[in-house]
Amino acid sequence: MRIVRPIAVASLTSTLLLTACAAPRPLAVAPPPPAEPRNTVVLLADADGKVGRVVVSNQAGSRTLERAGDATCILDAGTMPTEPAAMTAAQIEAAFGAALSAQPTPPRHFILYFEQGSAELTPASRDEFSAIVAVVHDYATVDTSVVGHTDTAGDARTNLELSLRRALAVGALLAAGGVEPGALEITSHGEANPLVPTGDNVSEPRNRRVEVTVR
Amino acid sequence: MRRFRTTILFSGIALLASFVLTTLPALADGETIGSVKKVSGEVGVMRDGQRTPAHPGLKLHAGDILETGPDGLLGVVLRDDSLVSLGPSSQIAIEKFRFVPAEGHLGLTARILRGTMAYVSGLIGRLAPESATFVTPVATIGVRGTHFAVRVSE
Repeated sequence: MRIVRPIAVASLTSTLLLTACAAPRPLAVAPPPPAEPRNTVVLLADADGKVGRVVVSNQAGSRTLERAGDATCILDAGTMPTEPAAMTAAQIEAAFGAALSAQPTPPRHFILYFEQGSAELTPASRDEFSAIVAVVHDYATVDTSVVGHTDTAGDARTNLELSLRRALAVGALLAAGGVEPGALEITSHGEANPLVPTGDNVSEPRNRRVEVTVR
Repeated sequence: MRRFRTTILFSGIALLASFVLTTLPALADGETIGSVKKVSGEVGVMRDGQRTPAHPGLKLHAGDILETGPDGLLGVVLRDDSLVSLGPSSQIAIEKFRFVPAEGHLGLTARILRGTMAYVSGLIGRLAPESATFVTPVATIGVRGTHFAVRVSE
């Protein structure tokens, strides 16, 4: 019963893609080899509504997709990609719906702040910690990054060590919250990657932090 | 004198490293480039010539080839927060993945051999827009920080 469906979807998809790509294709003087692979590339809006850019190129030239829903088709490596043309929502769903449905939830980012010169969380960050533990469990993560940072107060070497102690402290708290230690990747950047750029020897609470990425 | 101080520093680092290793084992898995989050139907990963069934939580390495069967769907998250998902009967090879932003090493190259793939760019697309590239049999797709989908028909 489940075996029949993909075939039906595939033939429907080809029809829809032909429609999407038929208009811009130039008159071919020599008939193109019909057995060559064919690609369709469609630009989509990001989750926040922003639209970036995709450049599709081969030896015959390149096309830039800049509007959400615009697509280009490529007949073969020696033929210029077709002029970008809009695909309808139904065409996009028919061609790419399955792949789009398999998109995972985007990773979550958290920043925990620390007391000056110490690996002790600020009271506000301590309060936030249980929310992070909940997300880590909810995501069933096997790949969570814990990255320690400091501000530029004090010397760089001491700060590298302090940033590692901060990251280890958060790692230990996560482990105590039931997170599999093998799921944690703990690193430290010292004072090299401030959230708020400052000069040297500047005490900046926003830079005394550990960044947690739950994937 | 300088050498002596360097030695002290190194033994300090070694001490810290052994602390890391003993307290939180298996943290330093430098080879992990992402992990499998969603699986449905028949999905496998080819690594070093061996095909293993994919399951949520499987860690991915550079060089892995992701494959879905006629009823398969796969969703993965890469280290730079990018999302890669495959529709049925698809095959893509993650040929290169470098994500060490602190050192400026950023790059993703994937080869789409067949099927459909959707991609939502992560930090590589944002920090180094020229360094995320997808190669199909007939074209190259350069990503400037965005979301796109591609179909490669045989």
